[in-house]
Amino acid sequence: MEFADLAAITIHDVKNRLALLANRADAKGDAETVRGAMEAALTLTRLLVYYRSEKGQLQADIDAHVPADLLQELAAEAGRETSLALRFNAGDAPTLWFYDEALVRLVMRDALYNAMRHSRSAVTLQARLSGDCLEFAVLDDGPGFSGELLGQSLGMQALSREGTGLGLYLARRVARLHDSGGREGCVELRNEGGAVFCLRLPR
Amino acid sequence: MALVTPFKNKSVLILDDMPEARTSLRSQLGSLGCERIAVSATVKDALEQFKNERFDVILADYYLGGGTDGQQFLEYLRTRRIIGRGVLFVMVTAEKGYESVVTAAECLPDDYLLKPFTADVLKLRLERLLEKKLRLATIDKLQDKGDWAGVVKVCDDIIGARDRYLVDAMRIKGNALLASRRAEEALEFYRQMIARRPLPWARLGLSRALHQLGRDDECKESLAGLIRESPQLMAAYDLLGKVHVASGDPDAALGILDSACAIAPNSLARHRAVAAVAEDKGDFKRVEAALEKVVKKTRNTPLRETGDIARLGNAFTENGEPVKAVALIEEACKNFKSDAEDAHLAAVEAMAHQKAGNRDKAEAALTRALRTDTAHLPAGAAMAVAKACLTAGKRDEAHGILKTLVQTHPEAKALHDRVSTVLRAHGAGSVAEKLVAESIREIIQLNNEAVLKAKAGELTLAAEMLTRAAQRLPGNIQIVANAASALLFDVLTNGLDAEKVLQAQAFQKAVESRDPAYPKLAEIEDLLGRIRSTFIVGRK
Repeated sequence: MEFADLAAITIHDVKNRLALLANRADAKGDAETVRGAMEAALTLTRLLVYYRSEKGQLQADIDAHVPADLLQELAAEAGRETSLALRFNAGDAPTLWFYDEALVRLVMRDALYNAMRHSRSAVTLQARLSGDCLEFAVLDDGPGFSGELLGQSLGMQALSREGTGLGLYLARRVARLHDSGGREGCVELRNEGGAVFCLRLPR
Repeated sequence: MALVTPFKNKSVLILDDMPEARTSLRSQLGSLGCERIAVSATVKDALEQFKNERFDVILADYYLGGGTDGQQFLEYLRTRRIIGRGVLFVMVTAEKGYESVVTAAECLPDDYLLKPFTADVLKLRLERLLEKKLRLATIDKLQDKGDWAGVVKVCDDIIGARDRYLVDAMRIKGNALLASRRAEEALEFYRQMIARRPLPWARLGLSRALHQLGRDDECKESLAGLIRESPQLMAAYDLLGKVHVASGDPDAALGILDSACAIAPNSLARHRAVAAVAEDKGDFKRVEAALEKVVKKTRNTPLRETGDIARLGNAFTENGEPVKAVALIEEACKNFKSDAEDAHLAAVEAMAHQKAGNRDKAEAALTRALRTDTAHLPAGAAMAVAKACLTAGKRDEAHGILKTLVQTHPEAKALHDRVSTVLRAHGAGSVAEKLVAESIREIIQLNNEAVLKAKAGELTLAAEMLTRAAQRLPGNIQIVANAASALLFDVLTNGLDAEKVLQAQAFQKAVESRDPAYPKLAEIEDLLGRIRSTFIVGRK
């Protein structure tokens, strides 16, 4: 058996175990363990997506989805696991938009957990129409992104600020897979009373 | 917190091969207020549960072990109409990727749920999906009935509302236009959709419309582009394979199906499709390779099909290994009682014995094959029995079976060609064309005569003619449906006759079981309603 196949099976197995662990902790109201298990599972998902991307097998399965639903689910998932105030605001979002729900969920969840690690008191999830794009954003009230991170454009930089940088790399890959009428999606980082992570997806 | 939930009265089935996962999901559902939860570890057990219970929601894990997966389970449920479109099917999986390799729109799950998920997320997702089912309930019912005009109308209302179900309604509307063969409208509809957003399903719909319009070159071009850009969309390969076969290029069809198998090696439907194309072409090495995979994967699962074993046995014989064919069939008959009675298997066994030189055993197997009324057999099986008869020199029997086969499917040109080929291969080339042409002429004449009789007011005679024909050709859905109508018209005009009504209802049921969307069913139902209100008002 190829190492890659074995790795894929192993990751699958570990994710199943983490799911059991998370559910058991969830049932007991143990938010900290739930969060740990969810984050660990997310790390593995990232690895798998990276592998597919390197093999040229990462494709966006684009269809119509409801941006507000995605934010509501992310907030519901993370809200129990944190003492931070977690808000979501999709009032200015279009009812439907076209994107790969699983990939966008991965990117947004990654950005959300990252913000939760650095925020002081509150994290906001936001979806709105911005020009001809849907803009998904995660805003925190932490110290903001480093100057180094803001200056860089592509490649393997650290979104997690202490991680491998895989998150940001994948976020940009995912953004670029969302092309429409010759325009591609993109990721924007800025500091605005905290860190602001934006994923912009063209109409 | 008091639980006032929409889940209380929903009946849920969990299918997962891992015991802890079942327990875990069950307790999550319990925490949402779900009270009616059934669990299964295997597809076999899950199918058993359907015998006693109607489920509203099915949560199936993708990986089920033992050669089966959640996608195969879903395809089995939907293609055999064990569940209607109103039943919610959610695929639970640890990662999205392999699972998105799916056959056709009707075999897509309603949603994927990626593990791990919390009870809160499960709640939100199920609420939303149930809300959607509720909003689309009318459409689901119309689709199950095959009332495509009704589907289009309701879809237009939803499209007009421009809410979150807009794109769902558009997708369903496109399918309804294609299902009712309104190809020009479908083409225009998909063109507009694509101009706004070239989604893969819309491009596939456009290709389907082109194929229906006979514009196969444009269709091939459109599909080739789609496959380049969305290599995971299996339905595009399936359609392209079909178009290649229709335009007489089985090699191109096999090439495209092979590339689909390389991407989704677990799809049984596709290996079966390869076998069917190869069989037609006479390439039994390919048939053997494809069906060996299918038979191996489905051994001892409910997805096992006797037809696969019969076709594989036939391929062994054709490839000069009749002994292997006999061993395969003997094993099947030993393990599955119903296989020992199966005419298709018996016919293949007869041919294998014949080829191996065991004339007595061949004779015995053929006698078993002929015990079944071949008019009730699927086309492939009937053809095998006819071939076995020809091989054994029983010409009259063979011709009778082939005539019935042609008359059961008077419009299936490809099948008629196969009938001719079989006859020619057995030295009956001179009768081949005549047998096919005569059989078709006879059935057209019968229909015409019945119509003339009915128009002349001889409704009883027309009904009798069609009833006899329907009993002789139970697989000819048009004749059976016409017989039902004729009987009911007769009753409506000439007075109540319980026997005729019962016969008509039996025909109606036969049509429904073959194609619940058959257009003539609406007329039959209407006639029954008129008979009820004319003769049975007030009687309970």
